[in-house]
Amino acid sequence: MDTTIHESSRPEGAFILLLLQSIFWMVAGLSSLPFGLAGELHMAALGLVTLMFALATCLLGIAVLWRRLWARRVALTLEVVCVIGSALQLLLPIGANRGPVALLVDIVLPVAVVWLLWDKKTRSAFS
Amino acid sequence: MYNINPEHAVGLIGGLVGLIVALGTLRLHPQWRSVPGTVRAAAVLMVVTAGVHLALIPHHLAHEPLTSALFLLNGLAFIALAVTFTWRHWRLASAGLLIATVIGYLVYVGAGLEGPDQVGVATKLIEVTALGLALVPVRGETRRTHRSWRWAGLGVAMPLLVVMTGATVWIVDLARPDPRHVHAGAVLQSTNTLPTPAQVDAASRLYHETKAAIQPYEDWHAAWAAGYRPGGSNSLPSSHWMNQKYVDAGYVMDPQRPQGLVYANTHHGPVLLGAMFQMKGINQFGPDPGGPLTAWHQHENICITPFGFEFSLMTPFANCAFGAIDISASPMLHVWIVDNPQGGPFAVDIAPSVVAALDRT
Repeated sequence: MDTTIHESSRPEGAFILLLLQSIFWMVAGLSSLPFGLAGELHMAALGLVTLMFALATCLLGIAVLWRRLWARRVALTLEVVCVIGSALQLLLPIGANRGPVALLVDIVLPVAVVWLLWDKKTRSAFS
Repeated sequence: MYNINPEHAVGLIGGLVGLIVALGTLRLHPQWRSVPGTVRAAAVLMVVTAGVHLALIPHHLAHEPLTSALFLLNGLAFIALAVTFTWRHWRLASAGLLIATVIGYLVYVGAGLEGPDQVGVATKLIEVTALGLALVPVRGETRRTHRSWRWAGLGVAMPLLVVMTGATVWIVDLARPDPRHVHAGAVLQSTNTLPTPAQVDAASRLYHETKAAIQPYEDWHAAWAAGYRPGGSNSLPSSHWMNQKYVDAGYVMDPQRPQGLVYANTHHGPVLLGAMFQMKGINQFGPDPGGPLTAWHQHENICITPFGFEFSLMTPFANCAFGAIDISASPMLHVWIVDNPQGGPFAVDIAPSVVAALDRT
């Protein structure tokens, strides 16, 4: 595989993680909808909001891939908020799941996106 | 699916060892810097999944030699691919092995040869991530080969594998629950299997004392006056009315002061179905005078929204819908004062047919 490269592939890595995150949110949104059939109208509404957010995250990933500067900022903000929210959920004594999947999806994934997009060298690749 | 199978815990250690080994040794490869970072990351993740599979071999060796052999082949193949990332057909071979590994796991889980657990799901997520990183075209590649095929493969395989993994794990978990899981999201207190005569008497006593104590609350106005307040939408078949004062006080299975009451939401108003005792702390099951007849249950990994006190189930990927948070509710015990033919007076749930019949009367 002759792949001598001149550009950082960090945006492509961040795109893959954002795509994964959007798929996870899509699954969460879809799984909430059946509860609407059982009369939980708020949960169904939240499911629809989650599906919209999943779509937006996928589009955000594509914008990161295209190296749009605004997308980098939005992605960094989104992931920092996700990390803070997830950390609170994991640390508070509310019985939230603290298994390896929760740690990977809710902490490692957003931290990895932040790490990939953070440094100045990566920033210079965005326009 | 929300717990770690103790026999698989060693897989987590294997994965961590794989990560350390990969980060320490792969960078010594003379052409490490000549490939994109996405390829390097995929190689590292493949060593991690190799570590998980190799670590699981000793446990499976005695009873499942075929599975152990597959783990060995799988682990060695991942290591071989991780160190040959400059190979011309590396992407195709890596994608093929990663997809085959995920599908192989799903076949094993679907066939009941393996129970879905956190180690398995986490490993599949790592493999799907590695797949995406291996396939994604990168700017500046000098050999821009098969980019459209790689995009197509990535766009189809990643969502499909994640959704297939989630659906399979969820369906298997619901269809073949752990013996202590009586329904999705609830874990039963461990008890003896068959009740003793003394336990039958104690359960009967608890039932009659509770039924007599909550009889005044058949008029929901009396419950309201006593401090019980409904939670959730009244468009649901039934609602739990909680007394926060009793919850905070932490009374333990006191028939005179149950923490909750359950009402059917009928067209002619709330109809009392029973009482609910609740412990104050998570994982603290209450006294169990009736043995298996009065086992407490705890709802785990439920997504609850403050908007109307509604809930759903956390996905296998540890996500809830936005606005909902993952919680576990402290142990509870229901006492149904109406006939509950499916599970009896202390069942986790009231039969929907009972509520429907009350609504018709």
